[in-house]
Amino acid sequence: MSSRRTRTTRTREHDIDDLVSKLQALLPSSSSSCKRTTVPSSKILEETCNYIKSLRRKGDNLGERLSQLLDSMENNGVDVSIIKDLLQP
Amino acid sequence: MSPPQQPSSTNPNSLKIRLTHRFLHNLNNLNKKRSNLDNTQIHRRSHRVKLAAYASMARVVGSRRAWSRAILWKIRNRKVFTRNKRVDHKTTHHHHLARSIKRRTTNHSNHKREYVDPNGNSGQEVKLRKLVPGVETMDACGLLDETADYIKCLATQVEVMRNLVDLYSTI
Repeated sequence: MSSRRTRTTRTREHDIDDLVSKLQALLPSSSSSCKRTTVPSSKILEETCNYIKSLRRKGDNLGERLSQLLDSMENNGVDVSIIKDLLQP
Repeated sequence: MSPPQQPSSTNPNSLKIRLTHRFLHNLNNLNKKRSNLDNTQIHRRSHRVKLAAYASMARVVGSRRAWSRAILWKIRNRKVFTRNKRVDHKTTHHHHLARSIKRRTTNHSNHKREYVDPNGNSGQEVKLRKLVPGVETMDACGLLDETADYIKCLATQVEVMRNLVDLYSTI
């Protein structure tokens, strides 16, 4: 144990551990496996990066499909604002 | 692929509802502007839909988060924003994530050395800072916090868009 580690450093590392486990809980792979072992945080960061990239890709693909659908709907004369009114409570 | 469990800290239903309304509002504005465009502008429209998605995410969260502030700022300065903006990694109050990573992985053998940049940030942390907007000069705790919130909102936005696509495709 390094004597230079102050209590502040130790609490901050605990904070980081908490944050990392919260992050792990958000990732999709954690809900499928029931492992309670400590996954190294470098792995968690790597999975986080991959997850963010995959979410962005999904968002982009959905955006393209959405724009195509809107285009075809406009051509068929459907007004998008009708949908919005339908969704209003 | 099932969506992740919604955490109970921020009310997920209200986030989804607010995102839906805001996204539809932005799409509506898109369509009104689009009436002057012809069919050759398909690329621009899908790009605008993506922008609308990010804009609605950032608008719903407001200025509470660094990532949403960064997105809103980028949108407002879209024309002025140049790619030459350099990011300085300041080392003032960084509690380096690399140190905690090394602590947690002492029991595991790393066959290749982890890349550590001159400021002590590991390769993963640098990648994360590039992926999440607005966290370039944040310390490790803030970075993790922002990342968690960003992921939550991204996942909800994707869900909203998926529901809309399903809805529109059945009409």
